[in-house]
Amino acid sequence: MASYSSRVRADIARWTQAGLIDASTAGALTRDVEANERKSLSFGSILAMMAALLFGAAILIFVAANWESIPRLARVAALFAIILAGYVGGAVLKMRDHAAIGEALWIVAAAAFGGSIALIGQMYHLSGDEASALVTWGAGTALAAVALRSNPLTVAAVGIADAWLFLRGFDYFRRTEFPHLFVVMAIVLFGISFWTRSQAARHLIILSVIFYLVLLAMEYETLQVAIPLVVVSMLLFAAAIFAAGPVDRILQLGGRLPLHALIGFLTGLALIQFQLANEASYTSGFAIASALALAGIAAAIVLGGRESRGLRWVAYAGFAFELAIIYVVMLQSMLDTAGFFLAAAVLLGILAFVIIRIEKRMKAPGVEGARA
Amino acid sequence: MMTGKRLIISALVLALVQIGFLSWIIAGRAAILRDGRQVLLKVEPVDPRDLLRGDYIFLSYDISRIPVKLIANVPADKFSSDDTPIVVRLKPGADGYWQPTAAWFGQAPAPAAADEADIVGHVAAGWDLRTPETTIAPDYGIERFYLPEGEGIAIQNDMRVRPFGMRVAIAKDGTAQIKALMDGDKMLFEEPLY
Repeated sequence: MASYSSRVRADIARWTQAGLIDASTAGALTRDVEANERKSLSFGSILAMMAALLFGAAILIFVAANWESIPRLARVAALFAIILAGYVGGAVLKMRDHAAIGEALWIVAAAAFGGSIALIGQMYHLSGDEASALVTWGAGTALAAVALRSNPLTVAAVGIADAWLFLRGFDYFRRTEFPHLFVVMAIVLFGISFWTRSQAARHLIILSVIFYLVLLAMEYETLQVAIPLVVVSMLLFAAAIFAAGPVDRILQLGGRLPLHALIGFLTGLALIQFQLANEASYTSGFAIASALALAGIAAAIVLGGRESRGLRWVAYAGFAFELAIIYVVMLQSMLDTAGFFLAAAVLLGILAFVIIRIEKRMKAPGVEGARA
Repeated sequence: MMTGKRLIISALVLALVQIGFLSWIIAGRAAILRDGRQVLLKVEPVDPRDLLRGDYIFLSYDISRIPVKLIANVPADKFSSDDTPIVVRLKPGADGYWQPTAAWFGQAPAPAAADEADIVGHVAAGWDLRTPETTIAPDYGIERFYLPEGEGIAIQNDMRVRPFGMRVAIAKDGTAQIKALMDGDKMLFEEPLY
């Protein structure tokens, strides 16, 4: 990021010298670059956040070691001290314009809260499962995100909710109910993310909900989940393209709703395709689903591809997946193993040709604004 | 934007709320240890495991298998269990270990007598209730015992060759809390209040 802003500044100086822009425009541009630079993630703040995550992991492993040479009341007191010092110290640093270090300290405090829950479970031999401990931890972290209006803590709360979904979703012993509670968590956290201005949390929540729907489809009837997912994704995509301004003012996703909608659409169709590929009478249903997927990808590129490079790459990945699954399901029986290489070569060739053609057209003169 | 002073105050309140919540859990557990009714249960290890949380052994008790015929309030037309709490009434046997005498889904109809104790467990959905001879497996929240790192395997091996007991404290509402691990008459670990 720093390299980009310094390059722009050098360009501005050059343009001023060459008489392309006047001094006041140059000043305005420089100020704008500086203002936006501070907002973006700097290398330092990423390092601070990584240090915080490592420190948090160290706390959790320290608890796990159950080290007898430190009395456990002292361990509890140490964790409580980290919670207090982390939240209050982080707030003081944030106030003094060290926002990145302050946010990192808050993450450490939230990790200490989780570590305390694990330590209490260990002290009193509580055999309640890890999943319910995660719910408590996530609720505490979400509370912290609200109280401190913190973007990283919101993302952390979403991450903990995801870990819970993962633990429950892949609980093969099925001693517990399906994690429907995740829907409530997602809605609450989505609401919180507006207060904490956490666009990253909203992106993560939308992707997590798609993952939840995949689990739901595997648990219950695939088509009853997948078809609504496809339809809703199409509607969201249309809304995001044709009413881009109002929709993004409400959801504040930085214009990336089409990307999420396309992911949801392709995920839903992939579920349908897997389901129909296993059935004896697959041919017509599978062919319709595949045709719909290819048409959807093409429509997505035509309607939204110009504005978003990310959308184009999701579309290419979806196209590659469709080529592969169509080959596996419909053609495999016709070709023997030796033919696989020929088929793979042809399919990759088609893929490369399509991507090159589209990328060339998207870069056509007069078009600017390839946002990722 | 939040002003500086308000941010620090909310950070302080947040820290105190979280610490208070954790302290409340600790105090509740310590209260069970201090005031709870003590029972001795026969115990054996199952399914050794060594996770990130440190060494612990999974335990199975005599009362981890409750025969369906012991449950007094199974509706006649009920095929399988709901996701429900279960009350198990315990009475000390001649050997000192407490044994289940009756059980109810939901709540017990009458309080336990002076020489008895009620422990509350949780039953998952789907256990077969039609044949009286089958057993169901409630959880009581005491199925795990944490050990200092490295001591788990030795104790677990000992537990396989001779009987071990667990002294458990039970609160008035039936919540169980592990108090001490007994090797025959010898106390191996006793939990301090804090």
